[in-house]
Amino acid sequence: MIQQKFTPLNVMNEKEKKELLKKLGEQFGIKEIPGIILSRGKERMFLFSGNISEEKLKKIEKEIVIERAGIYFARIDEHTGKIRLSIEGSQMLKDQIKKNIYEISTKDDFEKWMQGQDLQISTGKREFLIMKYKDNLVGTGKASEQKISNYIPKNRRLKHKQN
Amino acid sequence: MRHDFDSKPLFVERMKLLLGNEFENYIEYVSKPDLKSIRANTLKISAEELKKTLEEKGWNIKQPFKKNPEIMIVDLELLPGELGRSLEHILGYYYVQEIASMLPVIALNPKPGENVLDLCASPGSKTTQIAMMMKNQGLIIANDVKLDRIKILASNLERCGVMNQIITRCDGINLCEKFSRMNISFDKILLDAPCSGEGTIRSTPRTLQSWNINKIYSLSNLQKKLLRSALKILKIGGEIVYSTCTHAPEENEEVIDSVLRELKNVKTEKIVLPVKCNPGLISWKENKYSKELKKSCRIYPHLSNTEGFFIAKLRKMK
Repeated sequence: MIQQKFTPLNVMNEKEKKELLKKLGEQFGIKEIPGIILSRGKERMFLFSGNISEEKLKKIEKEIVIERAGIYFARIDEHTGKIRLSIEGSQMLKDQIKKNIYEISTKDDFEKWMQGQDLQISTGKREFLIMKYKDNLVGTGKASEQKISNYIPKNRRLKHKQN
Repeated sequence: MRHDFDSKPLFVERMKLLLGNEFENYIEYVSKPDLKSIRANTLKISAEELKKTLEEKGWNIKQPFKKNPEIMIVDLELLPGELGRSLEHILGYYYVQEIASMLPVIALNPKPGENVLDLCASPGSKTTQIAMMMKNQGLIIANDVKLDRIKILASNLERCGVMNQIITRCDGINLCEKFSRMNISFDKILLDAPCSGEGTIRSTPRTLQSWNINKIYSLSNLQKKLLRSALKILKIGGEIVYSTCTHAPEENEEVIDSVLRELKNVKTEKIVLPVKCNPGLISWKENKYSKELKKSCRIYPHLSNTEGFFIAKLRKMK
């Protein structure tokens, strides 16, 4: 048996998944999670659609280093306890997202958003909002009184102005 | 001339022997700039939608293969790295991938619901293509041995929305031994083996500078071990695609021939690809290989204006 250098994968149980789904429903109207939820540590959650039993996954993990399973799709905000969807989380659940959507109206604002800048806009909300431009869903922003705070990770930011 | 062929006379001698009267044509193509090809990531966007979006940006998009609309050529003068900096790339709508590098997965033809092992998966071009063909259903084990390469793999799989994957970090031979002990086997395996990279000199001229015959012999030994190990965890009736981005027969036909001689329950399969290719060799210098090797594919830059690759497909029988 090998020594794992990190904490083992945790498979979210049915009760935890129901609670998560309830929050996703309240926040964004999401009714179904297409896969199992895995986590490692407290906040980041991974959506995994692989066809393998939990038992087999654990068996593999005992023998082989598992670096990752599924995609990082959401995290629980440590201050509010609410859910923040990642870019992929918003894209993979696109068809189910029905509320708390902020539609970015101009290409210029969209580029600013993708460059990692906050949008200086008052939405009248104090919520996590799914950011949308045309058909593109690009994760979550946090609306406060005067702005929407940006969570685009550094490695996914636009570095140059587009054509 | 973009390449210093004079500094590698043995490479030139070997390519002349391999190609005969096609050699001059090969040199002409390998000296041309490579095509800018991308693959639409249909896990996130359809090929038609992507084409429309890119054309709206002013990019000229060609789809050279009717049956593979996801394969696109960007026919435009672009700055170096521009394909990887676009918004559509950042959002995971396409993967920058050379056409020849897309062919092993087309040969493997993974289907939704299957269990697939990608033994040497980084940087993830082929893993993302496998997931796309499997529609995120079934299971992909994507393995690599080095942590820095795995970080790139994980980042690419995430960007492309690959949800049905487990990324493992293990030496390939060791991984197969472990799966074998756990009685875990696969419907399909991709062994895109580490190789000397002769096929990539068109886009990466420095590969030629580091070319060395001893490296070829040493890689050939590793490739034989990897293929033998992988075959142990292939299901009966399962298929494995062995590919390299090199032309050296020691890393290609010789590897396949060695398992065909050793394992009587392994057969070669015919491969259908959307590009022209030459059949695999049945002899090289003093060595004779199985006639079955004719079913394998040698892809040269001058045949379809791509980079170079070798692809063989094997099936495990009872």
